[in-house]
Amino acid sequence: MKKFLTTAFLFTLAAVAFAQGAPVVQKSLFEGQYVAHLSLAIAAAGCGLGQGKAVMAACEGVARNPQAAGNIRTTMIIGLALIEALVIYVLVAAFAIK
Amino acid sequence: MEHHASLLAQWLTQVLGLSRHAWFGFAHGAPLSVLERYDHLLNAALAALTAMLVTALVRKNLARIPGPLQQIFEGVVEGLKEMINDNIAHHGERYLPFIGTMALFVFFNNFFGLIPALSPGTSNWNITLGSALVVFGYYNFHGMREQGFLKYWAHFMGPIWWLAPLLFPLEILGLLSRILSHSLRLFGNIAGEHVVAGIFFGLMPILLPVPMMFLGLFFGLIQTFVFTMLTTIYLSGAVSHEH
Repeated sequence: MKKFLTTAFLFTLAAVAFAQGAPVVQKSLFEGQYVAHLSLAIAAAGCGLGQGKAVMAACEGVARNPQAAGNIRTTMIIGLALIEALVIYVLVAAFAIK
Repeated sequence: MEHHASLLAQWLTQVLGLSRHAWFGFAHGAPLSVLERYDHLLNAALAALTAMLVTALVRKNLARIPGPLQQIFEGVVEGLKEMINDNIAHHGERYLPFIGTMALFVFFNNFFGLIPALSPGTSNWNITLGSALVVFGYYNFHGMREQGFLKYWAHFMGPIWWLAPLLFPLEILGLLSRILSHSLRLFGNIAGEHVVAGIFFGLMPILLPVPMMFLGLFFGLIQTFVFTMLTTIYLSGAVSHEH
C-alpha cells in the first residue's frame, strides 16, 4: 500500500514536472480540475468500499433466508442509492468547479 | 458546466427561425435561442406530454383482456400500491395519484436521454429541484393536514423537552436538506450517465455507447424507483401518527 501510494505520488509529481516545459501558466495541484478529479476519485473509492460491504451483507442475508429476498433487495437498493448520493454530490461539485 | 442544447432544440430553432443572442452569465455568452437556452424545459414538457398521452391511450383502451401496454401499466400501479401499503400504515392509497404522477414524470424524463436528438430533462438541476420542491410541499401539507399544524411541528422537537432547543434547528435543517439530497441525487445520476454516454459517443459513435446506454436504461429505472421510494418514505414519515 505504501509502495503504491509513493509510486502514485511520484507519477503525479512527474506529470507536473513534464508539463513545466510548456509556456502555459501552471496551475497548482490544489486548484481547479485537479481537485475536482482527485476528489471524485477519493469519493468513488470510499463509495465502492461502502457499497461492496452493503451488497455483501445483502447477499449473505439472501443466502441465509431466500424468502426475504424481496425485502432485502428493496432495502439494499435504497441504501445503495443513499451511499451513491455522496459520490453524486462530489460529481456535482466537480461540474461546478469546472 | 458547458451547455449542450439538444438537437431537437437546435432543429426547432432553425425551423421556427428564432434569433440567437447571448444570455447574461450563461454558457460564457454563447449565442443561443430561447429554445436552446431553456432546452431542459422543452424536454421536460415533452416528457410530461408523452406521459400524459401514453396514460390517456391506456385509459381509453382499457380492456378485460389486457394488451401489452395495459399489462405494463397494471404492473406499475400494482407495484406502487404495494410499495405505498408497505410504507404508509393507514389508507395510503389516497397518495397513489401523486406518487404515480411523479414516478411517470421522472421515468419519462430519464428515458428521454436514450432517444437520439433529445436530452433528459432530469439532467438539469432546475427540473429535479422543481420535482423535489413539489414533493416537499406535498408531504409537509399532508403532514399538517393529517396531524394538525401544531402537532406536526412539535414532532420536530424531539422526545425530551429540554433537548428541543438543540433538536428543533437540527431537524429543520434535516428537513430542508432533504430537498437538496432528493434533487441532487436524481440530477447527478442522470447528468453523469448522459455525460459519460456523450463522451463515449465522441470517442466512437458506433457500438461503443451501447453498453453505456444499456446502463442508462438500468440507472434510469433504478433512479425512478429510488425517487418514488424516497417520496413514499418522506410522506409516510410526515403522515404517520405515533400511537
